[in-house]
Amino acid sequence: MTFAQVLTPPSVGWIAIAPEIVLGVGAALILLFDVQYKPKRTHLGLATAAIVATAFAFAIVQYDRVQTLSQATADQAADFVATAFPFDAMIVLDANAVFGRFAMLLVTGLGLAAGWRLFERLGARAAEGLALMLLSATGFMFMASSTHLMMVFLGLEVGSIALYVLAGITRERTESDEAAIKYFLLGSVASAVFIYGVALTYAGSGSMNLLEIQGVLARNIFTRPAVLLIGIALMVVGMGFKVSAAPFHSWAPDVYQGAPGGIVGYMAAAAKIGGFAALIRILFTAFPDFISTWGPLVAGIAALSMLLGSTVALVQDDIRRMLGYSGVAHAGFILTGVVAGGAGTGEVWFYLGVYTVQLVGAFGVVAAVTGAATSGAGIDAFRGLSKRAPFLAATFTVLLLGMAGLPLTSGFVAKFGVFTEAWQAGYEWLVIVAVLASVIAFFFYLRVIVAMYMEEPVDEAVAPPGISVRASLALASLITIVIGIVPGPLLSLAGEASPL
Amino acid sequence: MSQYFQEYITVGAFAAVGVLLVLAILGVASVIRPSNPTPAKKLTYECGVDPVGSGWSQTYVRYYIFGLLFVIFDVEAVFIFPWAIHAEALGIGGVIAIVLFMLTLVEGLVYAIKKGVLAWE
Repeated sequence: MTFAQVLTPPSVGWIAIAPEIVLGVGAALILLFDVQYKPKRTHLGLATAAIVATAFAFAIVQYDRVQTLSQATADQAADFVATAFPFDAMIVLDANAVFGRFAMLLVTGLGLAAGWRLFERLGARAAEGLALMLLSATGFMFMASSTHLMMVFLGLEVGSIALYVLAGITRERTESDEAAIKYFLLGSVASAVFIYGVALTYAGSGSMNLLEIQGVLARNIFTRPAVLLIGIALMVVGMGFKVSAAPFHSWAPDVYQGAPGGIVGYMAAAAKIGGFAALIRILFTAFPDFISTWGPLVAGIAALSMLLGSTVALVQDDIRRMLGYSGVAHAGFILTGVVAGGAGTGEVWFYLGVYTVQLVGAFGVVAAVTGAATSGAGIDAFRGLSKRAPFLAATFTVLLLGMAGLPLTSGFVAKFGVFTEAWQAGYEWLVIVAVLASVIAFFFYLRVIVAMYMEEPVDEAVAPPGISVRASLALASLITIVIGIVPGPLLSLAGEASPL
Repeated sequence: MSQYFQEYITVGAFAAVGVLLVLAILGVASVIRPSNPTPAKKLTYECGVDPVGSGWSQTYVRYYIFGLLFVIFDVEAVFIFPWAIHAEALGIGGVIAIVLFMLTLVEGLVYAIKKGVLAWE
């Protein structure tokens, strides 16, 4: 048998990677058009929005395809495998991947609108910023839609490296450079830890394909699974870095504070979606039988994240640092759903979907108040905001209450969902810790709302936000309220999103 | 298992002997030799010419862009050679795949040229 006979071309399924192709090719075209024709920045922004919308349309087509696949009969098995596992099972087309794309593209669209002012300020670098945004979305979408650890790692790198550059894209400011360097160094360490975990998992199981790993583990009993267990732990740690779970969170507040204001919401949300999508798929698809081993580890990280994030956020005087630490706490809340195993997939996706929308919206407000290309956002700038900019104050209030988990907002339904799953999985202590952390978290969200509505305004006038910023903030607030009152449709959509 | 560790003990013994040997030679030499430093002896040796200026200086980072562009072609070659050897067996699918791959890299090169990074002013 010669080399060529072994090396058969892979099975191709274009529809399974259509949104990623649109984003990747779109990013390349934006760069080339910019360098050749020097179009107006508004046109570039509109083109980017069109690219994201096209990718979303393809994601809807994929959703339809997945619905058809789920009704496949036994004699369509070969067809099913070819469509659901194209490219030699490097890519998977399932509800989990499609829901990840929905969340990712929604966040990209919102982030683009909320960061419009930043891209206008960037001047000649606007096209680079837009292309990097599209490329990072591509990478994180690949993370959500792969069953192969090598592909997951590639997606992680494509997404993360684009985010490192975005953090430093206003390179005239030292704070932005500092944020980029910090993010790059710590993110690289996280990637190294993750890939070492992948290597050990491969050594322990003999495969990098998550479904094959599951099969190997189901057929064999390991008398000495130490290598495999260390591999799982290192992969959890690597993803813990990406989603900024304690004790791997140290980069998050610094980066959120230093990176340009207009893009920071997108950065935070995208990394969370990508990290959790990969974590869900790795733990639930490959290692469902090891849940008694990784469950306590994830529960410990979750408890530490919630307590540390909530308490440290109390003493922050910078809104961006506060949102960074609240992001640590939210990573803990989402991990609370992860400990339930496959049963909690829907609740985790629901939480991830509603929280990332709130996150982009909240950072959009911060950027509108304190500048899209600056770093830092002291709480003083928000005093009496209700009198100076009532719309911004109102949307910020809705989004903060949603993050706090007040009933009738999406945050409450999300928290209730993950807590229920953890309780049913037997982690009563974790739910008690989580409820305690939610109560603590209420204080610092309320502190901002009190500052906006009950304190004397400072003299600084707030520039009225543009139409795109207002639209994105209104949409994020609307989603928070509507999903809070009528959570049914999104709950059922997220409930379908379990990995194959 | 004991055999396995025995081999590491050999490695450890060699490492220890190596360290001791260097320490012994340098130690004996420092005891025996006369100590008579002069400014000329303490100068940094640089091909016999007296060194000028500080060791810390700025260098042109311009080269690194050329280095990066070189990597594009290098990686391209690494993938094209194996493909070229089996181009016939891989058929039309292989041609399409390699063309897509090359277009991806050409796109980067075109962008770099248009951006003006190859102009050496």
